[in-house]
Amino acid sequence: MTLNPWLHGLVYGLPVLLGVMGVGALASWWERKFSARMQNRIGVDVFGPFGVLQPFADALKMLQKEDLVPRGADKTMFFIAPAFPVVLCVVLLGVVPFAGYWDDTGTWAPAILISNLDIGILWVLSVSGLMVFPLWMAGWASNNKYALLAAMRTVAQGVSYEIPMVLAALVPVIVAGDLSIARMVAWQATHGWMVFSLPVVGFLAFVLFYLASLAEANRIPFDIPEAESELVAGVIVEYTGIKSGLFILTEYLHTFIASALATAMFFGGGHMPFLAGLPAIAQIVLSATAMLVKTSMLFVSIYWIRWSWYRFRSDQLMELCWYYLVPGGLVLVACTAVSVSLGWV
Amino acid sequence: MMSPLPAPVRAALAARWPEVFPAEGDLDPNGPLVPADSHYDLAALLKEHGYLLYVTVVATHFPTPEGDTFEVATVLRNPSTGKAFWWRCKLGADPVIATLFPLFAGADWQEREQFDLVGVRFAGHPDLRRLMLPEDWEGHPLRKSYAIDTPHAPWR
Amino acid sequence: MTLPHREADVTLPKPARKDPHVDLEKLDAAADLMAINMGPQHPSTHGVMRIKLWLDGEMIVKAVPYCGYLHRGVEKLCERLTVVQLTPIVDKHDYVSPMTNEQALNIAFERMLGLEVPRRARYMRTIIAEIQRIASHLLWLGTFTLDIGGTIGGGASLMMYTFREREAILDVFEMLTGARFHYNTHTVGGQRHDVPVGWPAAVKKMIDAVDAHMPEYEQQCYGNDVLVLRTKGVGVIDRELALELGLSGPNLRASGVDLDLRRDEPFSAYDEIKVNVAVATDGDVYARFDVRMREMHESIRIVRELIDSIPEGPICSQKPVKVPFAVKLPAGRQFYTAIETPRGELGTYVIGGGAEKGAAPYRLKFRPPSLHAMSALPYALVGHTVPDVVAILGSLDPILGEVDR
Repeated sequence: MTLNPWLHGLVYGLPVLLGVMGVGALASWWERKFSARMQNRIGVDVFGPFGVLQPFADALKMLQKEDLVPRGADKTMFFIAPAFPVVLCVVLLGVVPFAGYWDDTGTWAPAILISNLDIGILWVLSVSGLMVFPLWMAGWASNNKYALLAAMRTVAQGVSYEIPMVLAALVPVIVAGDLSIARMVAWQATHGWMVFSLPVVGFLAFVLFYLASLAEANRIPFDIPEAESELVAGVIVEYTGIKSGLFILTEYLHTFIASALATAMFFGGGHMPFLAGLPAIAQIVLSATAMLVKTSMLFVSIYWIRWSWYRFRSDQLMELCWYYLVPGGLVLVACTAVSVSLGWV
Repeated sequence: MMSPLPAPVRAALAARWPEVFPAEGDLDPNGPLVPADSHYDLAALLKEHGYLLYVTVVATHFPTPEGDTFEVATVLRNPSTGKAFWWRCKLGADPVIATLFPLFAGADWQEREQFDLVGVRFAGHPDLRRLMLPEDWEGHPLRKSYAIDTPHAPWR
Repeated sequence: MTLPHREADVTLPKPARKDPHVDLEKLDAAADLMAINMGPQHPSTHGVMRIKLWLDGEMIVKAVPYCGYLHRGVEKLCERLTVVQLTPIVDKHDYVSPMTNEQALNIAFERMLGLEVPRRARYMRTIIAEIQRIASHLLWLGTFTLDIGGTIGGGASLMMYTFREREAILDVFEMLTGARFHYNTHTVGGQRHDVPVGWPAAVKKMIDAVDAHMPEYEQQCYGNDVLVLRTKGVGVIDRELALELGLSGPNLRASGVDLDLRRDEPFSAYDEIKVNVAVATDGDVYARFDVRMREMHESIRIVRELIDSIPEGPICSQKPVKVPFAVKLPAGRQFYTAIETPRGELGTYVIGGGAEKGAAPYRLKFRPPSLHAMSALPYALVGHTVPDVVAILGSLDPILGEVDR
């Protein structure tokens, strides 16, 4: 089926985009309630039932805020920097298969997927590697020393943690023998989920990917670039209103997408047992639900860590990456390659 | 409370400043009055004898009909016995006294505060700036001649 | 801005003690240092203060703290107010432990005048001081982890729990004095407010709750590897430097000095009980953290020991004060005395015979432990990175209201 690319984007992209934005808003509400429970508080409860409309109220508030541009800032850069992370997050979404079904030939076919890119993993890694640029732009353009320090940390951290992320992603690539995420899910649907099909190594690779994603999405304990207790607010210290709101939205989106990717790569994506034989539409609904549940569990675990852990120091963060995660990742890749070549998987 | 000094310290002090620290009898309960030029030596001697903890320095303004006088009281504490000891030095209208910074690093800020608020200068202090008040403040508020409602920029 | 350059590290002089007044020009003329102001508006400065940092990359080459943003001229004010009027003023110094401020002031006046304090009042003071110590250390624990964990992170979680406990303590104080924060319950010669009915039971309930939750806090702190990683070996203040700087309280004891005025210069009822002093030797952030955690256990023990044995009797040896000129200080008398507050040695230097016919002190100088703690910053910060600043500052626990007065 070949559609006009624009039409394709509209038909496939818009629902996914809107859905994910809605999920992002809901996620921020959920995080606030979740953290409130963890902290012996009530949390948001004014706007909407259980405060569920609070994210929209927040967005409205941010839109009304005065837009301040610091004197001495690089105005152009300062203005466009907040848009980029959102764009990159949305672009990342394009290759994530959100559901699937057993088609007539007995293979697992992706359903809610904007683009079945052959180089899906490569695309994901390169785009998330680009994520440091808007943050650097923001930090540099703000003409603020705190933002500058944070931006330098961001770049150092983003570039460093890219490596364990690549190594972790190599494991499913080697096992499934494919760079396309959709086909990786299809492989898992027939061979079992990645974390289980490769006994210990699969799980370790998932842990590595998870840690690297935490660092890429700047979550505690790796939220050095934001580090509000030492660097006030990091790169977004000079941003006001909806511009800082975009950065915050990006954090949620990035976390959500990282969870979705980890689900697709290690937990079988939308695959769940007992689907074969059902009507295709029922399969798609059920598998989308399964995907959402799995992703949410990872997502919540990220916030669980966030609200119970402390922050690493920047040099300890680098130490963790280069002394432990990178060598560990290399070992994992070697183990995987050996297992695959010996035909154990 | 002024605790009695241990015998070795008392003997060492009596040997050095017999008119201030008589070998027998109680010391001045308000703190012995030591000549200002002995201030540093006394602190050094006490530090040798175990008064290692720098507690505080207090400068006070005493206006008299003959002119301004100042008193600088220094408190040290012996960490092994937990007892404090202080002495006073009298200064004239142009109050200058030796800094204790080479002996006690903590004297840095305490002396700056007293310089700031009372206007006693500490000779040899490496960084004698105002501590509490802005750099451009005029006068020293804890002097008795400084009225409590003295106007000052920007509230002049 | 250059990347952290190794050459500069080699040429940096490494003296036995880092001189805080180091001339940057002499230090390393070629170094490309960045000056950055932490504060006065910064989330982790515990009030209003400013530290000017010179950074080489992220490493601190020189740190100069500035205080005085909260200076209210209290010592000048003290020359006009009478002894009786001063107690509510000192509540506002160390606003995290107002009770011990009042005690320091009133004990100084009592010792100067040679006044006897009834045994019941002394017991009450001891209990109050220990409860206040728990409250102060709880607030410190919350803000310390807040600094390390971030306001949007694990630190905030622990802070919410410590505030739950602190709330219970404020309730207990409210029951005793009617006020939640600025109590004005101590007076020269004893207490103003007697123990209300049911207060010991309420204290015991509160103490039990704190004691029950202590393992939770310890698990969240000692059991968290990141916190241990962030604190061990950071901001070391050796024994000699700690003494010279005049650090006191937990900061001094963390540097290996076994000095506690509760035991060594007993006030209130501390001469009747045994105080086990928590001492650590490392002098780093972890040691200061550890000492405070152990002190909370000791305070819980002391409160439990005393709360059932408050003796009967009067609570004040003086007549109830009707006029502010009731207590007069002897002219020409000078006096230094100190008590142990949660932050350390809160000293009071009093010169009697001031205004209002001697009812006001001629000069009143407070010896705030927080000021001495802050003066350790130029020594402790050098050689560490920016994240360590908040950890070290938090571990020293300065209260800026007390620093600036």
